[in-house]
Amino acid sequence: MTQPHSTLVDAPLGMRVRIRQLRHAHPEMSARLRELGFCEDAVVRCILRGNGNMICEIQNSRIGLDNNLARTIVVSTGE
Amino acid sequence: MRSDDEKPSLRHIALVGNPNAGKTTVFNALTGLRQKVGNYPGVTVEKKEGRILFPNGTEATLLDLPGTYSLAAASPDEQVATDVLLGREPHTTVPDLVVCVVDASNLERGLYLVSQLIDRHLPLIVALNMTDVAAQQGIVISTSVLERELGVTAVPMVARKEQGIAELKEAILGTRTATGKARRWQLPEPVARECDELVGLLQNRHRLADAEAFHEAMALLTADSALIERNDRFAPELLQHVRKDHEKLDFLGFNRSSVFFVSRSEWIKNVCAQAVTRTFFPGMSLSDRIDRVVTHRVWGFVIFLGIMAVLFQAIFSWAAVPMAWIKDAFDSLGGVIAGVVPPGDLQDLLIRGGLAGVAAVVTFLPQILFLFLFLGFLEDSGYMARAAFIMDRLMGKVGLHGKSFIPLLSSFACAIPGIMATRTIDNPKDRLATMLVAPLMSCSARLPVYALLIAAFIPAGKILGIFSFAGMTLLSMYLLGLVAALGMAWLFKKTFLRGTPPSFLMELPPYKLPSLKSVCLQMWERAASFLKRAGTIILGASIILWFLASYPKLDHATPAEQLNHSFAGRAGHLIEPVIKPLGFDWKIGIGLVSSLLQREVFVSTMGTIYNIENASGGNGGSISLRQQMSQDRDPATGLPSFTLLTAICVMVYYVLAMQCLSTVAVMRRETNGWKWPLFQIGYMTALAYIVTFIVYRAGLWLGVGG
Repeated sequence: MTQPHSTLVDAPLGMRVRIRQLRHAHPEMSARLRELGFCEDAVVRCILRGNGNMICEIQNSRIGLDNNLARTIVVSTGE
Repeated sequence: MRSDDEKPSLRHIALVGNPNAGKTTVFNALTGLRQKVGNYPGVTVEKKEGRILFPNGTEATLLDLPGTYSLAAASPDEQVATDVLLGREPHTTVPDLVVCVVDASNLERGLYLVSQLIDRHLPLIVALNMTDVAAQQGIVISTSVLERELGVTAVPMVARKEQGIAELKEAILGTRTATGKARRWQLPEPVARECDELVGLLQNRHRLADAEAFHEAMALLTADSALIERNDRFAPELLQHVRKDHEKLDFLGFNRSSVFFVSRSEWIKNVCAQAVTRTFFPGMSLSDRIDRVVTHRVWGFVIFLGIMAVLFQAIFSWAAVPMAWIKDAFDSLGGVIAGVVPPGDLQDLLIRGGLAGVAAVVTFLPQILFLFLFLGFLEDSGYMARAAFIMDRLMGKVGLHGKSFIPLLSSFACAIPGIMATRTIDNPKDRLATMLVAPLMSCSARLPVYALLIAAFIPAGKILGIFSFAGMTLLSMYLLGLVAALGMAWLFKKTFLRGTPPSFLMELPPYKLPSLKSVCLQMWERAASFLKRAGTIILGASIILWFLASYPKLDHATPAEQLNHSFAGRAGHLIEPVIKPLGFDWKIGIGLVSSLLQREVFVSTMGTIYNIENASGGNGGSISLRQQMSQDRDPATGLPSFTLLTAICVMVYYVLAMQCLSTVAVMRRETNGWKWPLFQIGYMTALAYIVTFIVYRAGLWLGVGG
């Protein structure tokens, strides 16, 4: 079992997790993430891991993001 | 505000939408071939305009705005879209109507932009595109519910199959979308109260319109940085009021940076819940299955290299047939001219001056079309974003991110769209680094140079029985450009463009069959501009060069002696000492100088020079340029003046040197000054000289020179 609160980078492949908080140092980057659907309370699923980056499914689309960015997205596995 | 009964004859309509929502397909379907591509003044963002012809005979202009996820601009690209919509772009008419293209299979995200457009009170029609894709995924959208919830007209459509286009035109004609609709989403109570109060203050004190006031209030309440940015714009009391609001909301436990997003997305979720019916949930989609392989850590790379190998192989073998046709056509045209115009200076000018130069370049049109066809397919199928994803790690090693890879890949076609594609990069330092190295990628103008030299000097033969030496030499030239670009980017990012490593964040659109129409339209645009250049600059340059290479006239001289004596010959001899260390003789020198403005002029120069030199027999068109070059001998030593090594050195020089006036112009406009374009010319020329010198010396040492 993963902890109830971890970041997206640790989310198990294929599992749906809920976004709790965005804590990027730059508010513009958090705003960008939110525009693409990575908003608080949204459900996201990691579907592939690449070299230092990952592909997530969110709102029925696929978004590629790097692991450093994924570390700024706090998620919880419990609904 | 105009009332309906006094509609102007020509209405201006703007097309917006998320990237990958099928905006371009809708644009093409609405306008057909009635398109015009230009630029917004001052920026290199492409401005695409077209005309819609309605069934009742009236017309309207349609402006295709850059794809954007929101009206909160982050990149220069999105800034243009926002500025046009809000009437801040001085040279563009404020649109009378906005058509927002929304991907039906991703309604939730599309509605984010739609809700911002509604907030701005813009007259709006929603084009609900790709309903077929949505249906395949079990998504059914009730248009009437959507219209009721949004308060605007919505038209379901499949633009790729031209379904719903007529309905969209009808909706545009009879638009009943009134402006001044209220914002549809609600803020939580304490935030709403503070926000309304601030909107009131902004309206009274600063005379802002309702929509603008709300937008400003939202920005002011969200981020502390917005306060500093607007320090000069608003009264100190107002800013003081905002600071108090910040304290109040923070005390109440609101996350100010997310509350507006969250409230908006709650409303969107609610709209979707009412309008969307999920008939079934599909399992793993075909796109996901393809991605398993294509974005795989190892296989992704292998597939990428495989695609590139096929591309370069195809450029060589498939394009050979139409190239032969074009050459034959020019030869017979030369024959016709020779029959009509009596022999003499005029015939010489027409055939050896104008025609030979233009023919030498136009012959490569099929290869350029193949290149654009491939790149168009890669882009349109959705593969390009995957290439960025798998290249992200590699790009990260040189301090750039995967997004920079797309401008670099587009630069294979031409550095100008490549440099323009950097506008999607938010970070100015990364953007500059990408722009500086983009012209190192081998563009289509280098292709004629490579093609001529490869065909003349690279031996026939195959590696593993599949890949020809010719195709692989071409691939190596492209790889050399790529390696140089990455190396220089690394150097720049380590020195004067040092900064934090950028973040990779990018949508990977579902794979789809590329639209032949879109790809062909793009090919047509490129072919037209290539032919236009051949007919203007290259024709002019060829004629000037013919003159310089034919005069002053020597009596009773062989053509070789004549060329030696001519203006061009003298100029070539003048720079020979500088280029001698690279293994280049004075004839190549003429080519280098004449192609300073445009690379492909090298080929037409060689065409003109060799035609003049070999003028002794026939009309000169019967021996091909490549044969002439490979048979050319130094009169003093009797050795071939062009060897395999010389050919490789010329190619290496052209890979690395900045010989393109248009790129310089775009860089100047894009960086707002001469500093960076001059730096770019300087570093690229130095790099080209040094590397070519090393290759030449190494070649001599290895005995390749022959």
